[in-house]
Amino acid sequence: MTFNPRHAVPLTAVAAALLAAFGSAAGQAADTSPDPTKPESELSVGAGYVTKDNGRFGQYNGLRDEGLYGLIDFNVVRREDATGTWLRFLGRNVGLEHRELRFDHNRQGNWGYFLEFSQIPRYEPYTVTSAVSGIGTPNLTIPSTSTAGSPVELKTRRDRIGLGFDKQLPGNWDLQVRLRNEEKEGARLWARGTAGGGVVGGPVFGSFEFAPEPIDSTTRQLEATIGYTGDKLQLSGGYYGTMYDNHHNGLNFTGGLAALSSFTPIALPPGNQSHQVHLSGGYSFTPTTRASFKVAYARATQDDAFVTGVNVPLAPGVGNNLQGRLDSTLAQIRVTARPLPKLSLLASLLHDDRDDKTPILRYNTLATGTSTFNGDNEPHSFKTTTGKLEAGYALPVGFRLSGGIDQERRKHNFSPVRVVSSREKTDETSYRAELRRSMSETVTGALSYVHSDRDGSPFLTTTLNNGTPGSNLVHPLHLADRERDKVRLMVNWQPTSPLSIQLFADHAQDKYSGRALGPREGEAQTYSLDASYTFSDRWQATAWITRSDTRIDQSSCVNAGTTGVCPATAASPVWDASLRNVGDSFGAGLRGKPYGVLEIGADLQYSDIRDEYRQRAVTPGATITPLPDVNTRLTRLNLSAKHALQKNTGIRLDYIYDRYSTDDWTWTTWTYADGTRVLEAPVQKVHFIGARYYYRFQ
Amino acid sequence: MVMRLATALAAVLALTSMPAIAQAPAPEVCKACHASSYETYNAHKHGTKADARTPANRGECATCHGDGTEHVKAGGGRGVGGIVNPGSKTLAAEAKNSICLTCHQGGKRIHWAGSKHATRDTACVSCHQVHTTRDRVRDKATQTEVCFSCHKDKRVEINRPSRHPIPEGKVACSDCHNPHGTAGPALLVRDSVNDTCYQCHMEKRGPFVRPHNPATEDCAICHNPHGTTNAFLLKARLPFLCQQCHEPTSHRGQIASRTATSTGAGTLARGCENCHTNIHGTNNPANISNERTFRR
Repeated sequence: MTFNPRHAVPLTAVAAALLAAFGSAAGQAADTSPDPTKPESELSVGAGYVTKDNGRFGQYNGLRDEGLYGLIDFNVVRREDATGTWLRFLGRNVGLEHRELRFDHNRQGNWGYFLEFSQIPRYEPYTVTSAVSGIGTPNLTIPSTSTAGSPVELKTRRDRIGLGFDKQLPGNWDLQVRLRNEEKEGARLWARGTAGGGVVGGPVFGSFEFAPEPIDSTTRQLEATIGYTGDKLQLSGGYYGTMYDNHHNGLNFTGGLAALSSFTPIALPPGNQSHQVHLSGGYSFTPTTRASFKVAYARATQDDAFVTGVNVPLAPGVGNNLQGRLDSTLAQIRVTARPLPKLSLLASLLHDDRDDKTPILRYNTLATGTSTFNGDNEPHSFKTTTGKLEAGYALPVGFRLSGGIDQERRKHNFSPVRVVSSREKTDETSYRAELRRSMSETVTGALSYVHSDRDGSPFLTTTLNNGTPGSNLVHPLHLADRERDKVRLMVNWQPTSPLSIQLFADHAQDKYSGRALGPREGEAQTYSLDASYTFSDRWQATAWITRSDTRIDQSSCVNAGTTGVCPATAASPVWDASLRNVGDSFGAGLRGKPYGVLEIGADLQYSDIRDEYRQRAVTPGATITPLPDVNTRLTRLNLSAKHALQKNTGIRLDYIYDRYSTDDWTWTTWTYADGTRVLEAPVQKVHFIGARYYYRFQ
Repeated sequence: MVMRLATALAAVLALTSMPAIAQAPAPEVCKACHASSYETYNAHKHGTKADARTPANRGECATCHGDGTEHVKAGGGRGVGGIVNPGSKTLAAEAKNSICLTCHQGGKRIHWAGSKHATRDTACVSCHQVHTTRDRVRDKATQTEVCFSCHKDKRVEINRPSRHPIPEGKVACSDCHNPHGTAGPALLVRDSVNDTCYQCHMEKRGPFVRPHNPATEDCAICHNPHGTTNAFLLKARLPFLCQQCHEPTSHRGQIASRTATSTGAGTLARGCENCHTNIHGTNNPANISNERTFRR
């Protein structure tokens, strides 16, 4: 048994602090029965044990290593009745790495403030063995030959601090201020590579080196909002500012393969900031007619210094940063009305303009006529206009029939030199109909159908720097002509008072067209059945089962010529891929109170997911080696028991069984040229046992 | 049965002994039959008398449930005496919500009217528990239980191997969505998909010397934020995802393979990103082929 000292410090410190701060009050409360009309507080302290090192179970909570962990949670709530002053101090998972603390103090209807702290760890779910040094820093040293390494822990952690202030102002006005600061540190899986170069080590297909991205950044968000709430008019306006500061701007390499010597430095995400002013409002003209709106203007800038050491001569006039600027304007209005008791209407319009005003400069003069670049940076602007009309009519027996039309128009800019097809405009129109029954003691539900049709302006051909057309065979997924049909059914049935059943079925089908290659068809289905049964006031049970099935069919061509001619030979065939993800999941839960002082709970969840990659040659004579399916299975069993020792104290026991299995082949045969291996245990079983003592007080 | 009759009688007696100026039964009268609701109401913000805006100062129980005089006189019962129960299955959602909106109309609920939840007859009490000191949907650790009562597909997706830390309670539905209505799409808390994602992933915002246009436009073209079986919540495994947009010249149209050829380089490990490292965009000013292809 091991104890994880990194989790230990807050465990004892927080428990001691809480007992010191609230001990006397708690002592008083223990002498009398709790007053159910007063808020109640709770503190629990205990320990848990993880039976085995793992990659998945502890990915986001830090329960990665076998050993003992502290379990501390508390929720202290006080209200001073005379003034309506609340004090709340919440601690959750305090002994674990995903801990959070929040202190909240407010005088209801007058003022309030809070301070909160939260950590989010993320461990790479793989076991990494590497001889690369400098991981987590912007300077990596890569072995030039395959070298046996030692275990490397790749993780990131976000440490957030939040501050908030609220004030109710005279005349139905209020002020709200929120500030959040987040520090993110660590390293994440990254690499550099090229198809050329020698083969080093195991089955390496080219030259690839393990190059973890160093993470060391600060993110800040500030929001100040003033609101007005009247009977008819409500307003909310203010400022929202963000700032991202990356403390590294480039990843530099020493050593490594000669074939990759030009791949240094690799630029890291640049720091950037944004400032938005916004105003939202709503006005109720009559009890049945209301309009709401939002207008917002934002300016995002990016003037972080370029990475240094670039081995390409920059053109004269290029400064030390992009001078990036993106202006966003949003305007939205929506009107709802019920002109007749049974008829409701809705109309809305949204315009969102993202105008990238970054100056276009020629960064280098290295482009030739056949280059797929011209040396210019490429700001990307787009506009979206969305309109919606909807009408609903109340029918007898609690039914309601509604229908509507949505239209979305998008306009994109494009660069003169392109390697991917673009479209200046896309238009999508959707027609919706729904029959809903919301009011019934026994059966409620809805059946809806949506048909969408997307097309747009002619595809823009890809072109080289000299204007020569390139390959123009693919309609990109998000720009292609598309017909979509979607049916959804939801039924809630309560045949008897203790039993309720819920059925959910969703089926969507897409058909893509426009060009010879690219996505062809898509399909998504979800079927789900839920049931819950209340045996008595003491016992309740739930169960559910869900099948989800998504598929997309797409086609491509091997070695199409630069001018977009697919040879369609056995050696360079046209081929299709049918990608399917099928998941069967079920869950069951039981809650009970076998006798007065004991509460028990049990939850089981299981998922069996299969990813299929069916590749098929369209051109006769071509052979394709199939890709194996990937099967993933997840099982999670939670058992809990809570035994009261007194009215306000007791013991809680928890048991978790977590099993993850996969036959994913993504990394199994892969070795980086530097010798780094990235592997995942194909079966991971973890047991967690926790025991804690809880104490309630007022 | 005897106890219930006695309780009802006590309630009637309490009502008849009230001063004539009373417009509706006092909470103590309601308590006779609804003790648990009375207790949680008093422990709740609604029961805070020091705040002039609360039901405690606006008519107590009658603020939300209407005048219960006839209800009490009749000895209680579901719907008897015109008592209003916002949890009733036979009361229209709009009628239920109008009770809550009397006080809760501003702030994040400005865009409620006409929002997807509003037009789909979602009632405030479909998600919120009023008579409790701990509303499940307002607690990040339990919020998903409420949302998944309708959004079944998301219940499955958040448990996929590639996901946000939603089961751990570190990311909640309300971090990205405002269920009370917004001006933008999908009830997102910010004005677009990307603006919402940038709250936590601001490094993807740029602008870059060389942007990857789909990433600039809509993160959801490539990612399913609710969870997938592919690394980084990608909607499809690489190289297939990239082949949905990219022309099949050079190596881009190659058949996915696990064999020791260049095709395997786009299929194994990080797939296409084995070489195309900076896939969201690069700010490297060199801006030649290696930057156009996001390699450094």
